[in-house]
Amino acid sequence: MSQQVLWEVVKGNNAFLVKRNGLTLSTDPFNNTGVQTYSSTGFISKNAVGVVSTSGKVNQINNINLVTKKSTKFQQADRKAKNTQSVYASTLAVKHGVHTASRVIRKRFGTSRVGLQRAALRKLVKLNRANAVRRRNELAAAKAQKK
Amino acid sequence: MTSVPLVSVFSADDSSKVTAKHIPLPAVFQTPIRPDIVSFVHTNIAKNRRQAHAVNPQAGMQHSAESWGTGRAVARIPRVSGSGTHRSGQAAFGNQCRKGRMSLPIKVWRRWHRRVNIKQKRHAAATAVAATGIVPLVLARGHRISQVPQIPLVVEDKIESYEKTTDALNFLKRFGAFEDVQKVVSTKVVRAGISKQRGKKYRVRKGPLVVYFNENAKLLKAFRNVPGVEVVNVTRLNLLQLAPGGQLGRFVIWTQSAFAHLDKLFGTYRYTSIIKDGYQLLRPLITNPDLARIINSNQVQEKVQPAKTTKVLHEVQKKNPLKNTKAMDRLNPYAKKQRAAAVAAIKANTKGTKKIKKNKALKKASRAAYNKVAASLNDATKAAVQEEQDIKVKYFSVQKGAAQTE
Repeated sequence: MSQQVLWEVVKGNNAFLVKRNGLTLSTDPFNNTGVQTYSSTGFISKNAVGVVSTSGKVNQINNINLVTKKSTKFQQADRKAKNTQSVYASTLAVKHGVHTASRVIRKRFGTSRVGLQRAALRKLVKLNRANAVRRRNELAAAKAQKK
Repeated sequence: MTSVPLVSVFSADDSSKVTAKHIPLPAVFQTPIRPDIVSFVHTNIAKNRRQAHAVNPQAGMQHSAESWGTGRAVARIPRVSGSGTHRSGQAAFGNQCRKGRMSLPIKVWRRWHRRVNIKQKRHAAATAVAATGIVPLVLARGHRISQVPQIPLVVEDKIESYEKTTDALNFLKRFGAFEDVQKVVSTKVVRAGISKQRGKKYRVRKGPLVVYFNENAKLLKAFRNVPGVEVVNVTRLNLLQLAPGGQLGRFVIWTQSAFAHLDKLFGTYRYTSIIKDGYQLLRPLITNPDLARIINSNQVQEKVQPAKTTKVLHEVQKKNPLKNTKAMDRLNPYAKKQRAAAVAAIKANTKGTKKIKKNKALKKASRAAYNKVAASLNDATKAAVQEEQDIKVKYFSVQKGAAQTE
């Protein structure tokens, strides 16, 4: 479905829309800027990557997930069903480092949507930094407890 | 038109198994999305479930109140007749009065229902069905469909024979629809307002809509106790269920026979509907709505002239070149060099004069030298004054110590 048409339907009201203090914001997981605009609203586009922080399992080093608009396993297996749309949330856990995740982002957006790519990367970096702080604190706390 | 999208029918027992591969999508799903039609039809159709109510026609009027007229230093509103009670002499009848009747009291014969043209209703229903097949719209409506294998979700007819609610629940879990049900459960709220005393205690969200075909289907009973889930027959698709609140994109689970029936129900672009007599699906104004793709296509780009460079005649706001160096440079390109030259000249001038660093010792020495000189000068002046005195005494017979006049 064309992104333009979908935008006309969705811009006035959607489940992710948050209007606060005169700002029009979005909780869309595919939106890496947080502000609802045509280009940043990822859930209406065909190709989007969302950088999402999750309260993940204890083993997960980074509580970051990448949410991609990928075809589900079923659709990938079924070649002819390419015409049907992908349901969202193929989530990739960003386990070890940010580099593979950033590669995924760069591949997704390529050279065409540089602004979106940068927004995604920016968010990834910020989340990673925040996680590093959290992890450091956790380790310190664990050490203190051991003592 | 490009190839028709294909849809797979899933096995009821196993969400990874497919019982029928590559069924073409019914034409309804290709209908243009018309939120304006849906919104209009929904607001009117939503009024049709209303029950008449009215205010008691005698309310506030059961008095023999009369206006006292003028000249009694009171407002001219009708006042309750009689005496012996507080109520007597109080204002009555008016909408502004306490215990008075309301203005324009509601009558039972208010026009509660709206009729909408059949064609509009059908177009709205078709659009709503189309919207259920578009993932972003279903997401935008707020359904949790991240684990659903395919949208539109078509399942084999086996679910129509479900009798137990556990079967229904397990089915929903298998197909990732349970997340939506959980959403409904967790967001059940006690309603604000008086309605909670009038039988509408809770506000419950809408979950998945299950659409079946065979009339003897037992799944109604299996699904009806699952919160948020609604069950409906294809032949009785309701806009109020397909687009609740006028918002497109309900999450719908179709049975195979229901899905197959849609072509007969709504017709296709090749033939009009059999059931909705003579109904033809809406045709889109633009067959390819992807503007970006059209603009970037070879056919368009070949014909398109190269982009014009915008010629800026002058800046929007006039900047003072005497204060704004960039504005000055624009007017006089040599100004930059002039400024640089001026700076260089100043630098050249001050090159010879080195700042003397006066340290304390030096200062002390110079001060000592000065004092010495001053002292020596003092001595000299003293000596000179004395000499003058002596001369005056010697040659002009000025007495010693006498005051010097002149």
